[in-house]
Amino acid sequence: MDGSGREREAWALTAEADKKMKTLGSLFGTFFGSSSKAEEACDMYVRAANMFKMAKNWHAAGDAFRKAAKLRLRMQSKHDAAVHFIDAGNAYKKTDPQEAIQCLTRAIDIYTDMGRFTIAAKHHISVAEIYESELVDIDKAVAHYEQAADYYKGEESTSAANKCLLKVATYAAQLEQYQKAIEIYEQVGTYCMDTTLLKYGAKDHFFRAALCHFCVDMLNAKVTVVLMNDVLTLAVQRYEEMFPAFSDARECKLIKKLLDAHEEQDVAAYTDAVKEFDSITRLDQWQTTMLLRIKKTIKEEDESDLR
Amino acid sequence: MRSHNNTLWRLEPQYGRSEGANNAQWLKEEECSGMSPGGGNKAVAQPLTLESRACCDSHLTTQDHRLLQHLLRMAAYPKSHNPFADDDDDGDAETEGPRKGFNVDPEEGAMSPAERRQRQLEKQVMRTAQSAVDSSFRSLGLIYESEKIGTETAEELVRQGEAIERTKRMLDNMDQDMKTSQKHINSIKSVWGGLVNYFRGKPEPSPPQKEQSTPYQANSRLQNVLEESKEHAGKYEASHPNLRKLDTSGFGVSASFGNDSDQNGYPKNRYLRAAHQQMDDNLDEMSLGLSRLKNLGLGLQSEIDDQDVSLDSLTDKIDSLDGKISSTNRQIKHLK
Repeated sequence: MDGSGREREAWALTAEADKKMKTLGSLFGTFFGSSSKAEEACDMYVRAANMFKMAKNWHAAGDAFRKAAKLRLRMQSKHDAAVHFIDAGNAYKKTDPQEAIQCLTRAIDIYTDMGRFTIAAKHHISVAEIYESELVDIDKAVAHYEQAADYYKGEESTSAANKCLLKVATYAAQLEQYQKAIEIYEQVGTYCMDTTLLKYGAKDHFFRAALCHFCVDMLNAKVTVVLMNDVLTLAVQRYEEMFPAFSDARECKLIKKLLDAHEEQDVAAYTDAVKEFDSITRLDQWQTTMLLRIKKTIKEEDESDLR
Repeated sequence: MRSHNNTLWRLEPQYGRSEGANNAQWLKEEECSGMSPGGGNKAVAQPLTLESRACCDSHLTTQDHRLLQHLLRMAAYPKSHNPFADDDDDGDAETEGPRKGFNVDPEEGAMSPAERRQRQLEKQVMRTAQSAVDSSFRSLGLIYESEKIGTETAEELVRQGEAIERTKRMLDNMDQDMKTSQKHINSIKSVWGGLVNYFRGKPEPSPPQKEQSTPYQANSRLQNVLEESKEHAGKYEASHPNLRKLDTSGFGVSASFGNDSDQNGYPKNRYLRAAHQQMDDNLDEMSLGLSRLKNLGLGLQSEIDDQDVSLDSLTDKIDSLDGKISSTNRQIKHLK
């Protein structure tokens, strides 16, 4: 009862605000005396939108916020407009992802115009998340994450930028763009190992980079086994030089074991090494996928050798 | 863990002792309680005969009692089921079949009671050793998990620190803007105010904020950690790969490696020795992991302290700015 009562109130408010808007149609409407009317209309739209939110009518809430935002744009207060667009985006997120993305993109444009890159980056991440979860459009999600990372870098927030870059790298590796993933992981790893607090996580980044190296060589099927392993061994050595604690880590030992197993084309040894590592520290989804890919290529080469 | 080792060693002297009534009673007590010390053991110690069951209410020495308690604790330890691991018990070479139960040996009937008890004791010892090794592996896993959580927390903290710095910079900007608007208001209020402004000149820009690259002081403790890890790198490269191979290939190869280890205090039985060695290695790794965790914790603490100070100064700035904004608002209202 409460919800529907609120809704009716909200619809009433919207209608009133619409009426006010119609009276402002003329040029006179933009003058000083009537801008208060526009402001009032804006406020009414916002109130109506909040009531819709309480009644859980997200679509109507989003619409109301959007109208308020457009009004603000007319009144040349861009900042408020952007805020309302964000509210609209959040309301739409629950029902209509496309609309949400539209609103968020408009807000991002306003913010970048004003030079507020940090907050624009934050909203790029929101958009990317929507693409990730609801619309499952990985390419666009990656694009938005990259944009967010660039903005953060521009604002000297390296940690936040790294967070976005890591996501980009994860998806890049899944989409088999290994070179890109390797660059990102190495870059982030190098940055982390210099920071006193972040260096404990650096070994994880190098481990992922090494896994990607593994996969890269897989793609160039013409490359012989020996050459492949050389490249990978060189990479691992490089990481060890850069970051001594890496050689101490169990991940590094796992990579070396996998390398050996791969040289000898021994699937059983490979599986054993992975199992042993997993028994102490669980491997996450991404790592498991990469390892499975590498394992498949061992099997394939095995068969092709036999032929 | 070390106390557990002592327990095992205590078993050793009993091993060779001539059976006293004490011994026999204790053994039968073990069988009766049907305990299977945790780990990968698939079997439960079955009470052998009716007569052993009948002895359940025999007296125990305090020593046996403590051993009992300890084995009970091992049995109660929750097993984390790892779908990837095969919990293969490397069996005694002495018995033909796997160490699944000790009531199926064909030679059992032929041996004297003393030998039978000896064998049962041996099996008991092996089981306990195995469960100790398994639990040390589990502990190792937990330590690594904590480390992972710690690193993630550290990253979040760093991000938060950056956000705080950003906010501070923006607040300084706002302060500047407030000063400018105050100037304008002064000039609007009165002609005299405008003249004063003219003479006062432009407000000096606030001292340039230092760039935030890595805003966290290189705590001497944390620098040491980096040094330590560099030292350990060499040591562990040498020792670990060998020992790891030993673990996966089973207990059979322990003979060759037994020469390197320190014989002091290790039991003569090579399988037991291998288990103890494995446990010692795990304990070493655990201690390393724990020291890393400690340093991580210390680093997190110093980071949080810094951010605490930052937040306090931030709060002060916001309060003062708040006051300025409200006074400016009042002034503007008066202007109307």
